[in-house]
Amino acid sequence: MWAYAARRTAIGLVLLLVLSFVTFVLFFAAPVDQARYACGKQCTEEQIAVTERALGYDKPVYEQWGAFVKGIVAGRQFPADPEVRAAAPETVSDCAAPCLGYSKLNAKTVNELIGDAAPISIALALVAVVMWLIGGVSLGILAAVTKGSIVDRGIVGLTLVAYAFPSFFIGVFMLKYVAIRWELVPLPRYVSIEDGGVFTWLENLLLPGFVLALLFLAGYVRMTRAFVLESLSEDYIRTARAKGLKGRVVLFKHGLRAALTPLVTMTGLDLAGLLGGAIITESVFAYPGLGLLTVQASNAWDLPTIIGVVVLAGAFVIVANIIVDIAYAFIDPRVRLG
Amino acid sequence: MGMKLRKALAVASASVLGLSLAACGGGDSDGSGGGSGDVEGTKGGTLYYLQHFPFEASDPQRIYYGVQLANWRRVFYRGLLAFPMSEDAEVGTTPVPDLATDTGTSSEGGKVWKFTLKDGVKWEDGSDITCEDVQYGTSRVFANDVIIGGPNYTLSYIDVKDYPGPYKATPEQQAAFEDAVSCDGKTITFRFNKPWADFPQAIAGMMMTDPYKKSFDEGEKSQWKVLSNGPYKIEGGKWDKNKGATLVRNDQYDPATDDPEQLRLALPDKIEWQIDPSDTAGELFNDRLIKDAGNDQYAITTARVAPPQFPQITGAVEDRYESVLSPYNSYLVPNHKKITDVNVRKALAVSLNLNGYVKALGGERVGEPGETIVNPGVSGAQDNPAFSEDNDNNGDPEAAKALLAEAGVKTPYPIKLAYQKSPTTDKAMAIVKESWDAAGFKVTLEGLSDTYYDVIAQPDKDVDVMWAGWGADWPSMMTVLPPLFDSRPNVSSTTCGNDYGCYQNDEFEALIDKAANSSDIEEQVGFLQEADKVLGEQYAYIPLEVSKFNWLRGSKVTGFATTPASSAYPEIGLIGVQN
Repeated sequence: MWAYAARRTAIGLVLLLVLSFVTFVLFFAAPVDQARYACGKQCTEEQIAVTERALGYDKPVYEQWGAFVKGIVAGRQFPADPEVRAAAPETVSDCAAPCLGYSKLNAKTVNELIGDAAPISIALALVAVVMWLIGGVSLGILAAVTKGSIVDRGIVGLTLVAYAFPSFFIGVFMLKYVAIRWELVPLPRYVSIEDGGVFTWLENLLLPGFVLALLFLAGYVRMTRAFVLESLSEDYIRTARAKGLKGRVVLFKHGLRAALTPLVTMTGLDLAGLLGGAIITESVFAYPGLGLLTVQASNAWDLPTIIGVVVLAGAFVIVANIIVDIAYAFIDPRVRLG
Repeated sequence: MGMKLRKALAVASASVLGLSLAACGGGDSDGSGGGSGDVEGTKGGTLYYLQHFPFEASDPQRIYYGVQLANWRRVFYRGLLAFPMSEDAEVGTTPVPDLATDTGTSSEGGKVWKFTLKDGVKWEDGSDITCEDVQYGTSRVFANDVIIGGPNYTLSYIDVKDYPGPYKATPEQQAAFEDAVSCDGKTITFRFNKPWADFPQAIAGMMMTDPYKKSFDEGEKSQWKVLSNGPYKIEGGKWDKNKGATLVRNDQYDPATDDPEQLRLALPDKIEWQIDPSDTAGELFNDRLIKDAGNDQYAITTARVAPPQFPQITGAVEDRYESVLSPYNSYLVPNHKKITDVNVRKALAVSLNLNGYVKALGGERVGEPGETIVNPGVSGAQDNPAFSEDNDNNGDPEAAKALLAEAGVKTPYPIKLAYQKSPTTDKAMAIVKESWDAAGFKVTLEGLSDTYYDVIAQPDKDVDVMWAGWGADWPSMMTVLPPLFDSRPNVSSTTCGNDYGCYQNDEFEALIDKAANSSDIEEQVGFLQEADKVLGEQYAYIPLEVSKFNWLRGSKVTGFATTPASSAYPEIGLIGVQN
């Protein structure tokens, strides 16, 4: 069992290394001269060469990647140029292990950038999860218990329509009409709990959280409806009803418990995929979370930040998979034997 | 250099550069302003500045966005010189003293410039601004591995060799720099290796020689720190890239050391500078200004009104609308490695339906046909005879066919036309294709995306004609023609730099050398006008449109104007709010 876990972990680490290397290679394959971009248009070839050295882009890709991996294990100092560090120690930034790099564009370590952005994405994700779980499960149950009625068809139809529109469109619609033209809600702007208190923090998360939740809501409505209907057709439900239990008790105490179990698994998987949705939602609402950080880094060819976010997101997915694999191995001995 | 229209468009109208001048306010017949924008402002209140893109830095030596240079010159960073807030093109592009006592004295044929600092000018921490601060700020530009991204024209002028900037200079290197940029009490002397006639214009617009306090400097970690010497300071001292900041009055700023009427009225007590870097921010800001509710009544924005919003500019909204010529021109560049016959290039120019192209872009609110690559706001701009004479801008396919016959080329002549792709440019380039196809060409359109300028800079590109855009860094043709067509700093084995057509012409380069060595501005302008004529005779470029900026403001904003110094963006030095 432990050997299996160790093997899966080792494979996960190799995958992460490959992921970071491929990102490096893709980045350098782009037709953009990084040093020229950073140095500015008046720079001569000599000055561009100096900038290239300072940024470490003069070294082969594998060497730059090696420095990156070393930083994760042992930490690094920036600027990379040792001459500058020695001559002007006030300009040095320490990046402790696991160091994901240093963004020249933002003058911060990638760890700091991710540290600043992650709480915003997590807050947005939490609000969205609560919304889609409460909304999706409630509407799914309602649809199930009114199966075949206009309510059922209305719920399923409307959530599918909402799902069919891209979140970019819904986000802009919400801002343009709901917030600006009709003034139904205040224009959302991220405010931290420290700056605005819990109420303001939450109030400003409602609209973007709702847009992100809509991405998942339709799926949860349909799945809940299907699971509840399936559960209600089981023999033990018939038995419960035959025993004279009230309909509400049968539904909530016996039917739902079985129906919701697969939804918990589904929620876990969807949480891992939230970054994709957050990129769009954060970009539309200008919430400076991991999604917006990724977009800005991509637009500005900020390699260290792109690598850092890719490795972090990849690590989440890989770790989640390892946990699932190991959990399966515990549950089903055939897996670890295979 | 100037800035490419790319950023101006891609960053949604954030002018990346150019302190250039645009013709000023009220360009549209019906867009002459009105409402409270014409009301003279009074001190007090809070102005809301809605910005739809993030800045790249708040360190003065790293700032290159034209709108940021212009605005921050008014609020935080006073320079030795500055451009006045006049709407008059000539007055607005003539530098006046700011931190310096006068506009400087030059000697040795424009190779030496001296400025003396005023008494009583201070940083926000109460310390005096010294000559050494100016010297140190100038030196930071040389550290182009630490202070990246800003304009660095001074590198090729200041008479010092192999100076790596203050962070890793040896004592000998530092001493050599301090000989080239020396202090004597409050007087700073710049020694150049060649004449720099338009140096005052360069430093009025750019912050390459702005003071910087050495003890405040943390190299690249200073990227978002602001130590103000202007009428405002930032609450907390740090600019937030994605949020902006709240600007409050700087109690160490003494208007007596300034010329508020010319340089900065500083009317609002507070400025809430809000950044929204989302892709949709520009459109939404203008939706809010059309709605004009709550604090948006006291707001201005960096985001131009988008063509789909034009139908909403009616009635009371129109009173808060302004359309002005921008500092940006766009143009087409033939690839001189592929189209070597001047008659073929001329055939492209004479057959171009420029009126149709501008109409496809959005019409007269979006731009007007250009007759040269030089923006009307640049000193000495004049129509280029190659494009202005006998040209109704509708295209003449028959004349083009005759030219192709004269060139003896096989028709249809294949042309691959590259441009930065968008739904609007697709439509406009379709007009170009239509007019050229009718003239004996066979055009293939090649719409490219984000890495556009990197692709067209490649020397071996498989493209015949390219779209490009440009705005001057300061109102001199020296920041237009040499950066775009001088092959010597641009063309190498790996790139054609900003000379996208890989153009090389000895006569042109001799003229810009004469211009560069002029100690007199008028003489310099004369050489550059001649150089533009040479470009026209060679059809080194084909002008497209001078773009326009369309602005809305809140109903309680006062003194709204755009000026040459503000790069045709709202002139924050003049703007106030009703109390």
